[in-house]
Amino acid sequence: MRHMYIALFLLFPLFVFNAAAETLPAGEEIARRINARDEGEVVSRFVTMAMTDRSGTERVRETKSFRKYFGKEKRTVIFYLSPANIKDTAFLTYDYPEVDRDDDQWLYLPAVRKVRRISASDRGDYFLGTDFTYEDIRKETKVGIEDYSWKTLAEETIDGHRCFLVEEIPVNEKTAKELGYSKVQSWVDAEIWMVRQAKYWDVAGNPLKTLQVREITLIRDIWTAHQISVENHKTGHKTVFTFKDVNYGQSVKDELFTEDGLRRGF
Amino acid sequence: MEHSMGGDKAARFFRWVTEYPKALVGMGILLMLSAAAFIPGLVKDTSSDSFIAKDNPARVYRDHVKQVFGLSDPFVIAVVNHGPTGVFNPETLQLVQWLTDRVKKIPNVDPDGVVSLATENNIVGTDDGMQVSQFFEPPPATQAQANAIRTAIADFPLYQGSLVARDSTATLIVAEILDEMKNETTYNAFMALVKEAPQLSGVELHVAGEGAISSYLYNYIDRDAARLNPIVAIVITLVLFIAFRTVRGMLLPNLVVLATVAAAFGTMAASGVNFYVITNGLASILIGMAVAEPIHILTHYYEIGRAHPDLSHREIIVRTMTETWKPLANTILTTVVGFVSLYASGGMPPMQYFGLFAAIGVMTAWLYGMVFIPAALMLVKFKPSPAIRREQTTDRYGRAMVALGTCSIRHPRLILTVTLMIIIIGGMGASRLITDEALIENFQQAEPIYYADKAINQVMDGTNYLDIVVETQTHEGLFNPDSLRRMEALQRFVETLPGVGGTTSVVDYIKQMHRSINENRKDAYSIPDNRDLVAQLFLLYSASGDPTDFEEEIDYDYRRANIRVSINTSTYTNNRIVIEALEPYLATHFNTNDLTAHLSGRVTVNHHWLKTIATTHFVSEGLALVISWLMVAWLLRSFVAGLFTLVPVFASVLAVYGVMGFGGIWLAVGTSMFAAIATGLAIDFGVHTTQRIRELMESGTGTFEERMARFFPSTGRALFFNFAAMSLGFGTLMTSVVPPLIRFGGLVTLAMAVSFLASIMVMPAMAKLFRPRFLGFPTLSKEMGREAYLEPAYVVSTIEEGR
Repeated sequence: MRHMYIALFLLFPLFVFNAAAETLPAGEEIARRINARDEGEVVSRFVTMAMTDRSGTERVRETKSFRKYFGKEKRTVIFYLSPANIKDTAFLTYDYPEVDRDDDQWLYLPAVRKVRRISASDRGDYFLGTDFTYEDIRKETKVGIEDYSWKTLAEETIDGHRCFLVEEIPVNEKTAKELGYSKVQSWVDAEIWMVRQAKYWDVAGNPLKTLQVREITLIRDIWTAHQISVENHKTGHKTVFTFKDVNYGQSVKDELFTEDGLRRGF
Repeated sequence: MEHSMGGDKAARFFRWVTEYPKALVGMGILLMLSAAAFIPGLVKDTSSDSFIAKDNPARVYRDHVKQVFGLSDPFVIAVVNHGPTGVFNPETLQLVQWLTDRVKKIPNVDPDGVVSLATENNIVGTDDGMQVSQFFEPPPATQAQANAIRTAIADFPLYQGSLVARDSTATLIVAEILDEMKNETTYNAFMALVKEAPQLSGVELHVAGEGAISSYLYNYIDRDAARLNPIVAIVITLVLFIAFRTVRGMLLPNLVVLATVAAAFGTMAASGVNFYVITNGLASILIGMAVAEPIHILTHYYEIGRAHPDLSHREIIVRTMTETWKPLANTILTTVVGFVSLYASGGMPPMQYFGLFAAIGVMTAWLYGMVFIPAALMLVKFKPSPAIRREQTTDRYGRAMVALGTCSIRHPRLILTVTLMIIIIGGMGASRLITDEALIENFQQAEPIYYADKAINQVMDGTNYLDIVVETQTHEGLFNPDSLRRMEALQRFVETLPGVGGTTSVVDYIKQMHRSINENRKDAYSIPDNRDLVAQLFLLYSASGDPTDFEEEIDYDYRRANIRVSINTSTYTNNRIVIEALEPYLATHFNTNDLTAHLSGRVTVNHHWLKTIATTHFVSEGLALVISWLMVAWLLRSFVAGLFTLVPVFASVLAVYGVMGFGGIWLAVGTSMFAAIATGLAIDFGVHTTQRIRELMESGTGTFEERMARFFPSTGRALFFNFAAMSLGFGTLMTSVVPPLIRFGGLVTLAMAVSFLASIMVMPAMAKLFRPRFLGFPTLSKEMGREAYLEPAYVVSTIEEGR
């Protein structure tokens, strides 16, 4: 009899956990909801990239960026506005829907008036001196469903918003190495299906970085984040992207997304 | 009159001491134990930095640079393969990956500060762009892939000599360390890793680098000292046995030694001073010195006991102490002066503390000699020493001293001629003295680390780093092509200096990037003319590199850059040439406008403290000589007497300089301390001899020879055992495996031998020849006036010598 009480006592937390888990949506379901969110066919915006190193020294770069879908192919171009020494430098990328097809990337160097092709980046490579990886940038506020196995852990509140805490483990070691992460935990807004916060662990299991998404507002019925920051815990390096004049309605010419477009500017 | 009054006071004091023997012995033991209780709290500090004061500008600046660029004194693993493909074959390169992965996980290693072929990026130009990718992605599985890496390295000048040997026989894994104080355990972890690594035929693994050397040196010396100190104690006990052949004769000096060592190390721990590498020598030296005073006291004690069997034990003790306290106080004072001058000369902190705590130890020895020994003797009954007989029947040691002394008194001119020759040869040797130091030379050549260091520095550019920090006042000032060109010119200049294997800086990366956007054309390996292009190259690089990739070369707002100079030797003489050539160069080519450049890094910091060796050495020796002279002059009320007493000091110091000069022994950290220590010890011989000759001239009758006949078997014999105990103590250091300890022990032993011989042969010979008044020789007028007192034997002897 006494043993039964002990057994019950030990099992009790399990029941509670299961009961809670039943009410939470499955991890994959949450991921699908995130990716189902509308992000607009075309977008133009000013992006301020502020990077800070561990000693607190800051680099600020003002850019204007355009993104447009060509079918399932996504093209992005970024024009640097300041500082003066990199003004008019421009970065173009073609992101193909085929899984095994590498991206194409070019950088225009106004000092030599040359467009240079950049070798395809690995998904885990850092993007233009920021703490975002190419994969982070490519997905914007979306996620790679097929890269991870998804599990909902709990329901928590972030910045006053109800969120689901989801744990993502890369499906295999190869993917983990490609992404540079061994584990991700995301806090996903339960109403608008947007990640509000995420934590990343490196392949060795050390805490790597923390992402925060702020100032989310509705623009033309599209939930739009105006500040995304990420801090690397290993290097002490920080990056803050601030978005301004986000415009989903502007017509953007296809020619902008070409080598000539890079030279001419917007 | 004054003398007897002093004697009365002393007698009263020693009567008081012998009144309360139990209480005083108890107190002595209690004091010793309470001082010893602090010893476990000693903190060890083996870093090279310990040799330079924390607030020294060179050290402060280096720490600042370390913070900005994340640089320290790295540990280095060298993977060496002398096979036909060198390190460029799949197995060796996979081993590099294996080691790199594991080095990153060693505690105290900064995982982001590990550099090897497995971590570094290659920058290459393609027909229409630039590619930044890791050399290993993943490590090569075929010989063709390994060959591709060899080609890539051959096309990237920056890594040649710094990361991979120019002849492909070696490659390095360089690891920055987080806390230098933990270097010892870090070194052990590196050694364990190398042992555990897969064994490949033809591949050698070496662990070296400044971090490794300093921690290994510490282990090395510590193990050695732990072995040596008991040997010193045993040897000295043996000497004591021969000298006295009694239990108290062996026990009491050893108790004084224990108290001395406890006091020195106890106060060191209590005052929060660290235990440095050279502190290892302190115990041996204290043992050797603490034993000298009890030898003199006990010799006198047994002599009085033998000569006056009618006296009570207490009277024997009081008389012994009353008669010996003054010469002993004088010798202790002069020894303390030697050590305090080491402290006061303001050299490297470890040496200063060495002097300070040696002085504390010596004063403790004196206190225990004056109080503890008489009190302890009171606790037992007098028992004569079988080794010390009446003066008439001296033992073989006494007889040997008589033979030596008689020889010198008979042939004073010969003795002084030989002395003069030794002085001249010593002076010639001293002029050839070289001040030099290299950490690695502190190891025997058979040690793996010595071999590793030589092996690496032979094939690589060098593992001794000098950093040159170039700084502008304006944000992104280093994008300026003119500044970059001046850095480049500086690099080319440094590379012409001796021992410099190569330099790396952000300029090399900029040139490589510039080349890569120009279809990889070799002629484009240059600094761009356009300042904006430099900025754009960095942006281009960031499209594939990591945000912190250039952290060690340039700071985040492109205002400060570091040029790392690899030098293949750590010798002071070589690196002084480099630094002394650089200083004027920087003064004329930099530091004139907004572009400044300053030296930093381990090589610079070491230079700053090593250059104090020579000056500190001569300052502290000069100080010791002058103060000792003044003190002896005051004690003997005569400046000439002071000089006479310093004869053993001059003789021994010059003899040692001579041996060092002709033997090519460097005046280095270990050896530079010999002079001050030898001065403090050698002067004891002088003081004992002067005072005893004076005493014999004042009391008693007879010729100088007759009077001196009593000097040799008693004072001479005590001086001999004093010399034997100390030289055997220091001589034990010669059985060490640590070259600097061997040299130090040998030099001090030599100094002791010379000063002993000077005190027993040269000083009596001089006394005879010069007949100084301060020793009690009558003045010429007195001799004329009191002809009756003319010593016939003396006249005969001078006639014999044809005076």
